[in-house]
Amino acid sequence: MELSRRLFARLAGTAALAGPALRGKQTPFTAQDVVDRVQKNIGSSWLPESLDNIKAGAASTAVTGIATTAMATMDVLARAVKEKTNFVVTLEPVFFGRLDAPLASDPVYNDKQDYIRKNNLVIWRIGDHWRARKPDPLATGLARTLGWTEHQVADDPARYDLPPITLGALVDDLATRLHARAGIRVVGDPQTSLRRVHLLPGVTPLDATVKALPACDVVVAGETREWESVEYAQDTVAAGQKKGFVMLGHVLSEEPGMSLCADWLKSLVTEVPVHWIPAGDPYWRPA
Amino acid sequence: MTANDVVERIKKNLGIPWNEKTYRDTFKVGDPQTEVKGIATTFMATLDLIQRAHAAGVNFVITHEPTFWSDRDTVAGLTDDPIYKFKVDFCARNQMVVWRFHDHIHAHQPDLIWVGLARALGWQERPGPGSRGQFTFPQTTLGELAAAIARRMNIRAMRVVGDPKAKVSSAAAGMGYNIPRVTPSVDVVIGGENPEAGGQFDDTEYVLDAAFFGRNHGQIILGHQVSEEPGMEDCATWLRTFVTEVPIRWIRAGEPFWSPKA
Repeated sequence: MELSRRLFARLAGTAALAGPALRGKQTPFTAQDVVDRVQKNIGSSWLPESLDNIKAGAASTAVTGIATTAMATMDVLARAVKEKTNFVVTLEPVFFGRLDAPLASDPVYNDKQDYIRKNNLVIWRIGDHWRARKPDPLATGLARTLGWTEHQVADDPARYDLPPITLGALVDDLATRLHARAGIRVVGDPQTSLRRVHLLPGVTPLDATVKALPACDVVVAGETREWESVEYAQDTVAAGQKKGFVMLGHVLSEEPGMSLCADWLKSLVTEVPVHWIPAGDPYWRPA
Repeated sequence: MTANDVVERIKKNLGIPWNEKTYRDTFKVGDPQTEVKGIATTFMATLDLIQRAHAAGVNFVITHEPTFWSDRDTVAGLTDDPIYKFKVDFCARNQMVVWRFHDHIHAHQPDLIWVGLARALGWQERPGPGSRGQFTFPQTTLGELAAAIARRMNIRAMRVVGDPKAKVSSAAAGMGYNIPRVTPSVDVVIGGENPEAGGQFDDTEYVLDAAFFGRNHGQIILGHQVSEEPGMEDCATWLRTFVTEVPIRWIRAGEPFWSPKA
């Protein structure tokens, strides 16, 4: 089914092969076609109760291009429009909350909806199913962006054994490669020398930190809570252990995983261009 | 005077009934019958804080936030953890006692944690009912406002969302794990920490998108410790009014983070 549709699309797109009769039958490549193809190839059965559904726009819309992003902010949508891309695949919500609930009479909500309508955009969330893929695409993508792939420990996408580096130098490197602004926060002495890294992007719960930190030198986390993983990391350092704990922020830690998502989609979708649009580090701090 | 005596005196002076069902405001470490040499109030009983308190001759720590890394200080599953063992051993060797004072200090009239934050921000709330945490001020820019708060509260790892040039003249502030929801009628929201994305309401994405449409909003994330540590100084001041037998000091847990140069 998938192959024949792709073949059909290729044939239909080739003027020399497509006679007038075939051309008349041509059906557009729609957002629903992309969704169907992803659901068929994601590698797990699709969870009907998940939040991964179309958040804005019509599934029947003809797709001009696909953009993946960690968070479908207005900046991301505007860049998609500029690049003539109308199907946006996002990991995080579009409308300012887990449920993407309507905000009647809110001006920012209404402006965003208007912009989406006027530009014929379709926005689809893939958060639950992309996170559930094996091997963990968020850790794999983060490692790839950081240039650590060759240092992976065994077949664990979360663990990397790096040439020794100080916490300070590691953090500078993370900030540069992820184009961070003020989102990165760190526990630990910048002079501490490190080798074993454990990646815990996204939301980093206490149990994951308590499991990872004793067995490595530094955890690179996403979003944490100050009375949970942060205090555990502080106590680890106070107990005299030469370790570090880096928080990238939720979105910044997930961006590379959505760059990986774009590459995966390229292997499934050949009808339209697919690319990644970074949402960027949302945070700055006063000079 | 024992640690338990101090707690009983707090209950008596609180001015509100004690909630016996609280899982937060209980002893976390040590024997409540330990004789108290000195009291430290703090934002969070980190190992570093407990070590510094001990060095200062204090053996009773009154902490606002947890000791063992979760709201319920759940230690099941942690007993073999090397950091847990180190912390518990240090406390046992030095007869340290830790008690949490969270729900009831917030319930005290006025909420002493809030009093501390408002004092640290240096702002006067709008008068009138339901106005707690609501502020108006002469028009400034988000950038200048954030810079003034960072200077005044001496914050290393503040995070701000929004256009630094946005003109703002109102704010809603929260403390701890709470940043008020940004609405069309409030320019800036300020608080301790919050889920960044995928929460009940994501201020961060809202403010980013508001900025795209030229609407003047901002989100200033102080840090949980930054927002609640000042109130534990007010706690120490309040304790001194009815505990006079031993020295009481406010010892900062301190901002946990540093941040690389942007």
